[in-house]
Amino acid sequence: MKNLLSNPQLVLVSRVFIGLLFIVSSLDKIVDPSAFARAVVNYGLLPSWMPAIIATILPWVELLCGFAVLFGVLLRGSSLLLSTMLALFTLAVISALLRGLDISCGCFTQDPAAGHIGWMKVVQNTTLFVLTLFLYFSDTTKFSIIEYLQKSETA
Amino acid sequence: MTRLLQALREAGMLLLVAAALGFIYTAATEKGMFAHLPPVPPSQTGGLLAPAMISRDQAQAYYESGTAVFVDARHEFDFKLGHIRRAINIPLRMYETKKSILDAIPKNRLLIAYCDGAECNSSIELSVKLAKDGYTDVKIFFGGWSEWTASNLPTDKTP
Repeated sequence: MKNLLSNPQLVLVSRVFIGLLFIVSSLDKIVDPSAFARAVVNYGLLPSWMPAIIATILPWVELLCGFAVLFGVLLRGSSLLLSTMLALFTLAVISALLRGLDISCGCFTQDPAAGHIGWMKVVQNTTLFVLTLFLYFSDTTKFSIIEYLQKSETA
Repeated sequence: MTRLLQALREAGMLLLVAAALGFIYTAATEKGMFAHLPPVPPSQTGGLLAPAMISRDQAQAYYESGTAVFVDARHEFDFKLGHIRRAINIPLRMYETKKSILDAIPKNRLLIAYCDGAECNSSIELSVKLAKDGYTDVKIFFGGWSEWTASNLPTDKTP
């Protein structure tokens, strides 16, 4: 396990994958926060004043964390935020499925024609959750901006 | 422990910056919570405020007092299956052709519009049309057919 956590290639691949994924998924939400707010409302879990605020802030958290993970800056903070968010999303999807709600996810696209949530979404989110946890516990700064800065300092 | 503290500090920083960016961006682009809702053109409401909504208890009291005419905004088919006793049917889509049944009713009579309930808006739209046509005392029983039947209040069927 220790080896895995400090394997620079594995960490790099995970960083690029998670980083790009969250950057891409944030864009649709940033472009149309109202559609994202409606998707949040559809889950029926939050008091009425919250979805608008979530739709204002959360896409930017995704975007910033996406870039942070991609470049390896603030990696611990961003991967902690992403894993917390993924855990909450997954719980929301599970609760919606258990209540028999037939709603669209609001995850990657705000297109209402996109598919609705299913148990596959739970599996997908759980996988991403594990990956972000892996990044949180990883302890290599190889291929990151941090490493680049440290190198140029010592040079 | 230091790892968690460091992570929390970084996460807090990211959250703050994200919140600032989010609010600035949505305010600047007037999206989401900062979007301007288009004002309702006065022609749609005739310059009148939408008629008042009444609760099931009030609707029942008006029904029992016999002072109100209940106007069912639902489709004819649903009306035939069951409606509030003594209600008349003016399906919203057929308003212009059906409104002649109101001719016998004085303009100051209390009219109570209803439809299925919380899932429909036709009671509101019907009430606005009635008010525009000069009925001075129009109310909306928004709980509608579903609340009425849930309380086992008097209904009729049209054979």
